[in-house]
Amino acid sequence: MRIFENLNVDFLGKRKLFYTISGALIFLGLINMIFRGLEFGVDFLGGSEIVLQFEKEVDITVVRDHVQNAGLQDAEVKTFGGETGVLIRTELQEVPPNIFPEIVNEIEQTINNHFPGLEKTLIDSTSNTVTYQLPNPDTTDKVVDVLYSEGFQAAEVSVEPGNREIVVTANISNWIEGSLRRSMPDNPFEILKEDKVGPKVGSELKEDAVIAIFFSLIVILVYLGFRFKFIFAFGAVLSLFHNVIITLGLFSILYNVIPGLNLEIDLTIVAAFLTLVGYSINDTVVIFDRIRENIKFHKTLPLFDIINKSVNQTMSRTVLTGGTTLITLLVLTLFGGEVLRAFAFTLFFGIIIGTYASIFIAGALVYEYATRKKRRVEF
Amino acid sequence: MKEFRFRIIIILAAIALSIYLLYPTYSDYQNSKEISQFLEKRKDEILKSNPNITTSELNRQLKVIEDSLINSNPSFQEARQDRIKLGLDLQGGMRVVLEVNTGKLLEKLAKDPDETFRTLLTEAQNEAALSDESVVDILASKLSERGIRLSRYFGSVRESDDVIIDRLKTNATDAVTRAEEIIRNRIDQYGVAEPTIQRQGNRRIIVELPGIAREEEAKRLLQGTALLEFRLVRDPEFTINVMQRIDEVLAGKNKDTLSTTDTTAQDTTTQMSEEEFRKEHPFFSVAMINPESRLADAYVKESDRNKLQEMLNRPEVKNVIPNNVEFVFSAKPIGYQEGESIYVLYLVNKTPELTGGVITDATANIDPMSSAPIVSMTMNSEGATEWARITGANVNKRIAIILDGVVFSAPNVNQKIVGGRSQIEGMENLEEAKLLEIVLKAGALPAPVDIIEERTVGPSLGEDSINNGVIAAVAGFFITVFFLILYYQRSGSVASLALIFTVLFTLGVMAGFGATLTLPGIAGIILTITMSIDSNVLIYERIREELAVGKTIKASVDSGFTRALSAIIDSNVTTFFTGIILYQFGTGPVQGFALTLMIGIAASMFSALVITRLILDYMVFKGLKITVG
Repeated sequence: MRIFENLNVDFLGKRKLFYTISGALIFLGLINMIFRGLEFGVDFLGGSEIVLQFEKEVDITVVRDHVQNAGLQDAEVKTFGGETGVLIRTELQEVPPNIFPEIVNEIEQTINNHFPGLEKTLIDSTSNTVTYQLPNPDTTDKVVDVLYSEGFQAAEVSVEPGNREIVVTANISNWIEGSLRRSMPDNPFEILKEDKVGPKVGSELKEDAVIAIFFSLIVILVYLGFRFKFIFAFGAVLSLFHNVIITLGLFSILYNVIPGLNLEIDLTIVAAFLTLVGYSINDTVVIFDRIRENIKFHKTLPLFDIINKSVNQTMSRTVLTGGTTLITLLVLTLFGGEVLRAFAFTLFFGIIIGTYASIFIAGALVYEYATRKKRRVEF
Repeated sequence: MKEFRFRIIIILAAIALSIYLLYPTYSDYQNSKEISQFLEKRKDEILKSNPNITTSELNRQLKVIEDSLINSNPSFQEARQDRIKLGLDLQGGMRVVLEVNTGKLLEKLAKDPDETFRTLLTEAQNEAALSDESVVDILASKLSERGIRLSRYFGSVRESDDVIIDRLKTNATDAVTRAEEIIRNRIDQYGVAEPTIQRQGNRRIIVELPGIAREEEAKRLLQGTALLEFRLVRDPEFTINVMQRIDEVLAGKNKDTLSTTDTTAQDTTTQMSEEEFRKEHPFFSVAMINPESRLADAYVKESDRNKLQEMLNRPEVKNVIPNNVEFVFSAKPIGYQEGESIYVLYLVNKTPELTGGVITDATANIDPMSSAPIVSMTMNSEGATEWARITGANVNKRIAIILDGVVFSAPNVNQKIVGGRSQIEGMENLEEAKLLEIVLKAGALPAPVDIIEERTVGPSLGEDSINNGVIAAVAGFFITVFFLILYYQRSGSVASLALIFTVLFTLGVMAGFGATLTLPGIAGIILTITMSIDSNVLIYERIREELAVGKTIKASVDSGFTRALSAIIDSNVTTFFTGIILYQFGTGPVQGFALTLMIGIAASMFSALVITRLILDYMVFKGLKITVG
């Protein structure tokens, strides 16, 4: 089977059209980024995020009400995966001081319900923990077990056999979990995932991500400048930048548009962007390699024809490799599970843009640069 | 045939090596299936015989059974060590990033801190939380703004601010080392399987705990203050006496069933077979005593630790141990036997003679006289008085230095120590001395840490992720193979074969490096599958072109490979570079992805350039028809 045999399309001649298309895509993305902004995940914002899997179907509005009743008005509550998954996120790092006494109250009530008349002394209390002393070591074990199963973060103060003290911590995600367990007793859930990121870590990660992407572009610029010519490196990196910007714009456009697809920028998405950079450069390099070879063989042919010829010659490879990769990524998006969905989707879309750019944009940019500088490209 | 021999040998060696490296992963998978089935059964049995058992007690018992199962079979352990490890996102667990709280440390270090100091410190801490500058620098500049010299709170009057700042910063770095050691010590005791503890930068510690179920317990392991105690080691006669009584109580249970052999066994102790000895002396068979030694320290194999602990927890055993003493283990193994670590079991007083708060400093050194490593320790005046009394009353006895319940050293008291300056000798090397220094300081100075990042993945999400990932990987593989064969026909099947080897090599190299497979890592393998056909596509397209020009098959194959080479190398090298950057940037799961991507690139180049080449060359040699679609 063969496709694109003896293909002879004047891609370069239509470059103005593709510039317009790319320009429009970039413009659309930027407009959205300015007005809708980009959604960042907990990795970059800092805060707490928990993902729960209920046993039975849940109504998301009910969960939202319960979370708000618990005193967390700002928490974001949405579905995760199927009908039974719920994602809850808040930017708070700690339980607000006005809620804490309520929590202490509930802890004491729980103990009273299970162990009526049990003597307990509050021996220490900080902004988010309480420590009790109980009459004997055996009940201490049992109280910890009961509190734990009721959703409190309870533990014995020391592992010594004679220990009679328990400490209960109320951090924000445990508080959400605990109060949901108590307010929805007939629909138990398990915790799939829990992330807590401090604000400083978040901003550091953001910085690192931007540095990583720019650094990879620079490394590629240097390597290609060394293996080809600077003008090729320039064309390749500019078109990579173009891919990243357009894909980023798509994030802004599609956020909250497709149900079940959670397009927030987190660490995994940054990894997807870096992979996108690595993959698209692959495509572009193959075409440039052909241009390099054709320049050596056809010394008299003008650059315009050489670029067109090279893109045409490599077209079947570009489409075949790109096509299989896209189909695999589609499989990964659909069946790869909740955690990888956004990652696979980013790459899926990014590779469409990347393949488009290697065919229509990268070579054209090289040509543009060469004609502006009126330089002959030689190897 | 000769021209192929060398390449065939290389390829076969690579395949054999990959299979060899992957075998432990396979056998570990089988082993864990076996173990979990057995544990399920035992769990039911325990629940039936004791329905009121608490969950924590049940888990503890199951853990003992699991440990003894794994330890009883060295091949289980080996397989576990050499398998491809699963990341936290696949097996569930907790990842915590801790940062030393310099503010709290400064507060502790300051002499007579007043209100001004406290307010400025709080301000400095708040500012530091949002910037890269250290609390020490911010506090120093705040103090100097107010015209207060640092020596008002730290160091001595003659020292300049810069000197003090430097020392405070060293203090902060030391605190990280201390916190790391305290955490390592506790995690070791807690028995978390395959924990990782690493330093990040000079203020942070990353701890990964696979399979931790109770978040709160784990956090306490990481954050609680360390307890350093000096406790008296009981004398040998007393200790042996207690041990013998325990042994009798434990054996008494067995004697009911074994009463006939009782009398004969007594006088033929030396000839007793190992099994008989184990029945006669259940305690001494796990806690071995050296009869030649004048000390009554028992030696316990690592695999027996849980068993011994369980023995000591039995009520009938507790009855014969006097109330004021308890058994404690050494923190580190003192040696190795048959590949297993050996720990020491000490019998010590329950009440400490002194706690670590009195220590003001500790330094590890080399004794200039004997050139042996020593640790010198100083105490405050209050501690020194006590210490003089304690050492005076216990000359020629041993005092155990215990941090969080395990013994780091049990030096002999040679004479009464007056003035609070003591010297500890007998360490094997300077490293051991350094560790003791850290331990002693841990009692004196806190190493307050804050959790700044925490990620927990439940076990069920991990399982789902693996299943979905494997489905997607298999589907991706077959789709790719389908297109390859459809488009390139016979050469397509050659490429598909090479693809199988690419996946095999990738996994093999990962196992060889002890790399961790994460969920994005699985995605990386899927991407590798599709991207690795690129090299083959490049080569085949070239061969087609060459054939179209009218070259012979042999010439086309040769020049197809040669001319595709530069494109293959350049494109893969650039992708490899982004892999490196990704590895540098990422944490945990993302690093796993970068690693599989890089290994996959290397493996795919090998498959395309060596394996595909060999098969095509061979087909040309045999005069077989090569169809490139």
